[in-house]
Amino acid sequence: MSSESYPASSDLLWELTRNNTSYLVKRKTGGGVRLSRDPLNLRNVHSRKHSGAVNSQAIGVVPSEKGGISLLTKKKSTGSTITSSYKPAKTSRKSYHHIVNATAKKGYRTDLREDAIARASALIRSYRKPVKPTKESKPRGSKAKKAAADASADL
Amino acid sequence: MTAVKHVPIVKKHKKRFNRHQSDRFMCVDPSWRKPKGIDNRVRRRFKGQAAMPKIGYGSNKKTRHMMPSGHKAFLVHNVNDVDLLLMHNHTFAAEISHAVSSRKRIEIIAKAKKLGVKVTNPKGRVTTDV
Repeated sequence: MSSESYPASSDLLWELTRNNTSYLVKRKTGGGVRLSRDPLNLRNVHSRKHSGAVNSQAIGVVPSEKGGISLLTKKKSTGSTITSSYKPAKTSRKSYHHIVNATAKKGYRTDLREDAIARASALIRSYRKPVKPTKESKPRGSKAKKAAADASADL
Repeated sequence: MTAVKHVPIVKKHKKRFNRHQSDRFMCVDPSWRKPKGIDNRVRRRFKGQAAMPKIGYGSNKKTRHMMPSGHKAFLVHNVNDVDLLLMHNHTFAAEISHAVSSRKRIEIIAKAKKLGVKVTNPKGRVTTDV
């Protein structure tokens, strides 16, 4: 045995952590679902492909300050996370370009290209102010009767 | 916010399956128990007898656990749980856990609205008028 320590393989890490990790969120509702809190998980799905902690290469898209987005990637040699923040772009398409140029275009996790863009898109959409104000719900049942009685009393 | 398009939800048997003879005796609970008697007419599926539950009554896998809106419920306890649904707002709707205070409910609902996540119980504890 050598004294040097090697990082455990992704497959081994996945087998060790797939049933028990702090990122894992299990719910019994909806037929039993497993999601992940991992910031390097683009779809929040607990799976081998999307797990950020396990894979040597992973992408994360998280909100940054002032309505921008941060791109997280992993350094292959050390496994440390690299954060690059982008200011809010004029068009959302520019943000996607930033992400794709830094990852898929360089051959870094090309399989996650769509997921990264989808997440960035969802985040950017969440920054927008709602266009439509929420409708006031019509009163039903006893409340409707009361409202009608009040209206007729006013007349 | 709106759910993904899906095949229509069909419930094959909406009524409960009540235990045989639970309507006749107070001491027989309506919770389903399969009749086991040798002469039992329900067990032998005689004409006019109560139907017994069986696997054929199960829902289509595609619409199982689905609410009429087409979402599945996902229990949330705090704002961080809502974040999990950012990429799933077409399939899952947040359901606020029963023990969450009204102050935190308001935060959860605001976050859900931002992310376009449907909340199944947005009125609980938040509205004050009776």
